[in-house]
Amino acid sequence: MASAGCRSHYSPPWGNASIIGVAGSSGSGKTSLALAMVASLDLPWVVIMSMDSFYKPLSAEQSKQAFRNEFDFDSPDAIDFDILVDRLRDIKTGQVAEIPMYSFEKHNRLEQTTTIYSPHVLILEGIFALHDQRVLDLLDLKIFAEADADLCLSRRLVRDVKERGRDIEGCIKQWFGFVKPNFYKYVSPQREIADIIVPRGIENTVAISMVSDQIRKTLAHKSMEHQQELKRLGKIAEDAPLSPNALILEQSNQVKGIHTLLMDPATSREDYIFYFDRLAALLVQTACDFLPFTPSQVTTPQGNVYMGLKRTAEASAVVVLRGGSAFETGLRRTIPDCRTGRILIQTNYKTGEPELHYRALPSNIAQHGLVLLLDPQMSSGGAALMAVRVLVDHGVPENKIVFITYLAGRVGMNRVLSVFPDVRIVVAKMGDDMEDRWVEARYLGC
Amino acid sequence: MSQPTAPSQTVGPEYRPATQLPTATVSTSVSRPNVHILAQTPQLIALLTMIRDKDTNRADFIFYSNRIIRLLVEEGLNHLPVVAKEITTPVGHTYAGVKFEGQICGVSIMRAGESMEQGLRDCCRSVRIGKILIQRDEETSKPKLYYDKLPEDIAERWVLLLDPMLATGGSALMAVDVLISRGVPEDHILFLNLIASPEGAKNFAEQFPKVRVVTAFVDQGLDEKNYIIPGLGDFGDRFYTM
Repeated sequence: MASAGCRSHYSPPWGNASIIGVAGSSGSGKTSLALAMVASLDLPWVVIMSMDSFYKPLSAEQSKQAFRNEFDFDSPDAIDFDILVDRLRDIKTGQVAEIPMYSFEKHNRLEQTTTIYSPHVLILEGIFALHDQRVLDLLDLKIFAEADADLCLSRRLVRDVKERGRDIEGCIKQWFGFVKPNFYKYVSPQREIADIIVPRGIENTVAISMVSDQIRKTLAHKSMEHQQELKRLGKIAEDAPLSPNALILEQSNQVKGIHTLLMDPATSREDYIFYFDRLAALLVQTACDFLPFTPSQVTTPQGNVYMGLKRTAEASAVVVLRGGSAFETGLRRTIPDCRTGRILIQTNYKTGEPELHYRALPSNIAQHGLVLLLDPQMSSGGAALMAVRVLVDHGVPENKIVFITYLAGRVGMNRVLSVFPDVRIVVAKMGDDMEDRWVEARYLGC
Repeated sequence: MSQPTAPSQTVGPEYRPATQLPTATVSTSVSRPNVHILAQTPQLIALLTMIRDKDTNRADFIFYSNRIIRLLVEEGLNHLPVVAKEITTPVGHTYAGVKFEGQICGVSIMRAGESMEQGLRDCCRSVRIGKILIQRDEETSKPKLYYDKLPEDIAERWVLLLDPMLATGGSALMAVDVLISRGVPEDHILFLNLIASPEGAKNFAEQFPKVRVVTAFVDQGLDEKNYIIPGLGDFGDRFYTM
């Protein structure tokens, strides 16, 4: 296996997620507080996770109790802290975390899970968010939401009746049987270890903006660290010769002629699209040579035997939006039914930092024989690095990833390959380092 | 007649250790400078395996043939002349590029050759396409020209002659005669072909040493009925009617 030698480390901006815990009595407005903080930040990298998802599944007997409102949901014992800690660790290290779903109607865990991936900041809210030492060790900020007990009860009544299908008598029975005693026993002591105590919930705009400012500072720090990380990798890449895992398309007359048309601003858009599609098909074709093949004997219609080859795995694709969509016509010429995932990585025009906004990947992508990552231009390699990291985080082995691009510079390619030496890059043309992105703008017309 | 053996070798990219390279039958080599055989990549072999297999259905046959045909067209087009052209890129650099020079046209030998027209159009959008019908004369068992319709100005064009199968080469030789009689210079003709027999390819290349033959695969030989071995059956039937 050709490897570019030693492996450099790359930590994406979600690599060391900050986790904020918001605890407080039931009905104290933890959720609204968390929502208000997220709303005031208005960023896709801040995610709320409710501890309600981590209720333990109930046994048949417990379930009967629960339907009689005799099960104690407000004791720490009802929470599956082991799974919670596992998932928090996944999130902290930037891995994909599958979060269980709990049904309050059925009093049980559902089959399906929700996925949390790549938040830079996670807000964990729940009455016992500051209860377990293992959780506390992972928290960067501890908040306790405080509210008047009458307010808590009335909020809880409204919520449980309206949203969780309970009756008033049952709710009141639970309040006095479990919620109130547990509050004094377990919830209230968390005040002692909180960094901030927020009274009056969402009305407390001073507290919300204080916490938001803190999160903003953390995000800015993470962004700066990420940019430094990219710079550091750029330094490593600058001195290295082009890695053997970067394959440049043979510069035949046709390929050179197509380059000339594509790079000439005088070429009409119609021609540009036509020739780009033609070249894209050649690139995809070249990348498909990395698929595994095995000997296969076939019989021709005349009964002759031919000793040929058979593909033993299928290739799928992941389009790095928006530019990658320029490859799709060419892709489908070679693999018409290619499964195609999509991720949106935008480069922040102020900082030059790539940001992951969206991802929709085939669920079994880790098992695909080859994953073609499509992005028409690689300049600094930052977005490419992030895209590869997303695939690796979703279980795709590095040596199954082929990054296909039209234009790339040596530094960008080396930057990706120094972190992921077993990835392969197929490129139509070597460009300048740090060249502005123009390829997709010409194709898409805006 | 002793049957020549087909060459068998490991195929695959260099970075893979030899133990991981699957073995397959690859193209027979033809020592004529005007015969250009596509690189025998695992992918090309796999595509050929698909279209040779009698159990491959028609839709797959058409799709996989088209993929090989596009490779042939891309390779064929590389033999056309280009002239230098310098341009300024969108980011303000100069690029010493090239410009396609001269006009081209396709000529398909009916009917199997017509199956290659789509692949040609995928690479050259509004290309003119002429047609030639050559059938075997039952009395003389020699090829006979029945019909042709070619662009008026064909003598000024580069001609991509299309026929997927080259067995004895009778029709292809006659088609080249027709083109030359219309004033096309011999060295302006490129013959694009999927599978050739070694004797057909050699004979054709000797008869017209200036015509460039671009083929995906030179097979093992011909049987007593002059069918290519192992071949893939009747290309036209499999593409159009089966």
